[in-house]
Amino acid sequence: MSGELERRYRRVLRLLPGYYRAQWEQDMIGAFLDGWLTGDPESDEYISRVARPGWAEVTSVAGLAARLYLGGAGAPRRYFAWGQAVRRAVLAVLLVHAVLAVDILVFLERGRRLVGWLPPPPASLVIAAPGGVWGMAYYLASVAWIASFVTLAVGHYRTARVLAALAIVPGLAALIQAQLTGIMPAPFASWPFWVLIDLAPVLAMTAFHRNAPPAVPLPWLLALPAGYLLVYGPLLALQATGNSAWLPDFPGLCCILVSLACLAHAPRAWSRRAGGTGPWSLTLVLLAAVAGAYRIVTLSYYLHDPHLITVSLTELLIVLATVVLVAPDAVRAQTATPAPPPYPRAMTA
Amino acid sequence: MTGQAFFVLTALADEPRHGYGIVGEVAELSGGRVRLKIGSLYGVLDRLAAEGLIEPDREEAHDGRLRRYYRLTRDGRGALAEEAELRAATARVVRVKLGLAGAEAAG
Repeated sequence: MSGELERRYRRVLRLLPGYYRAQWEQDMIGAFLDGWLTGDPESDEYISRVARPGWAEVTSVAGLAARLYLGGAGAPRRYFAWGQAVRRAVLAVLLVHAVLAVDILVFLERGRRLVGWLPPPPASLVIAAPGGVWGMAYYLASVAWIASFVTLAVGHYRTARVLAALAIVPGLAALIQAQLTGIMPAPFASWPFWVLIDLAPVLAMTAFHRNAPPAVPLPWLLALPAGYLLVYGPLLALQATGNSAWLPDFPGLCCILVSLACLAHAPRAWSRRAGGTGPWSLTLVLLAAVAGAYRIVTLSYYLHDPHLITVSLTELLIVLATVVLVAPDAVRAQTATPAPPPYPRAMTA
Repeated sequence: MTGQAFFVLTALADEPRHGYGIVGEVAELSGGRVRLKIGSLYGVLDRLAAEGLIEPDREEAHDGRLRRYYRLTRDGRGALAEEAELRAATARVVRVKLGLAGAEAAG
């Protein structure tokens, strides 16, 4: 009598992990059908033929599935490892955004001499600061990225999510305007950047749910000034000494940074004594996938220049070669990472 | 405790209920403000069961499909009473700050 409708709901519930379905599927199907069926055989047969799961129901099941696959405390090992890896990858991408934002604000300050006692920058490093509404939106987005990173690191997940969602809006608006008019209104980035580096982490912030163990804030917060000095120190030195030709573009820089992180992590990933490295290895595999995808989709920018294509492919090969070092540990993480007990809030990421 | 968890525990306070029964009771308790989706409900039930605040009561077949009933555990009852007290105390403070408590007493 409820056969067709039940089949449709079972199809929706296939979004959920198998272990969860084994425990709850029958119960959930009963609850879904209770919402439709009347007990009158004729009406129920008609309803069963024509009724479909609503979008709100499908969305709520999809949301539940995302929280379960990106597991937190009490989740099976595999899903806990994926949850930790995605949470750390999101923090790492937000750290990159925050470092970029600090750089933008530093240049704004130095270009406009907002703090009078600081020395002016060398003429070779001065860039034209965007003005008007778009310029303001650009700077506000930068501040929002820094605030989002900090609030996420200290465990205010909802605030971080709202700030990050706001931070990606000006970039999208500028890209749409550029699409319509052919003119980019401010130094916002490209569609690949917006999709992979802006939108993807905002969507992946689903991993920061109620059961997600909070990150240890201090190392992440210290990584912001450290990251700025370690990345922009060498870059500015290259630029100031007239060696700009050695500067990688942003996708190349992402590949190099992920490769360096893989090399730094590899000894721990291969050590038999170091435990619990798996989620970090999985994090690096995810970051390498993002950096690699970004490098591949931006190859088309250099089709006119065989030298730059060679450089870009070399960056891609380097990231592939280094991620192979941590990949076995990432695979092991899915079976070897013990999940913390259910729902205490004092765990560390 | 989240608002959803509070409403689910409240729905189970007087008698065991099955999934859809909880959805209906929560809608009634909240005057229609909270309409739980099934995905959200089972996320909450799973968490409350793992925390030991609810447990399965019985299973019944109804029109050829399963209905599993849930009830509050002793811990669940305690947690709900504590949360209700906390919310009532907060509400009292808000009413005093808004000047509603005196007006009501006078009225």
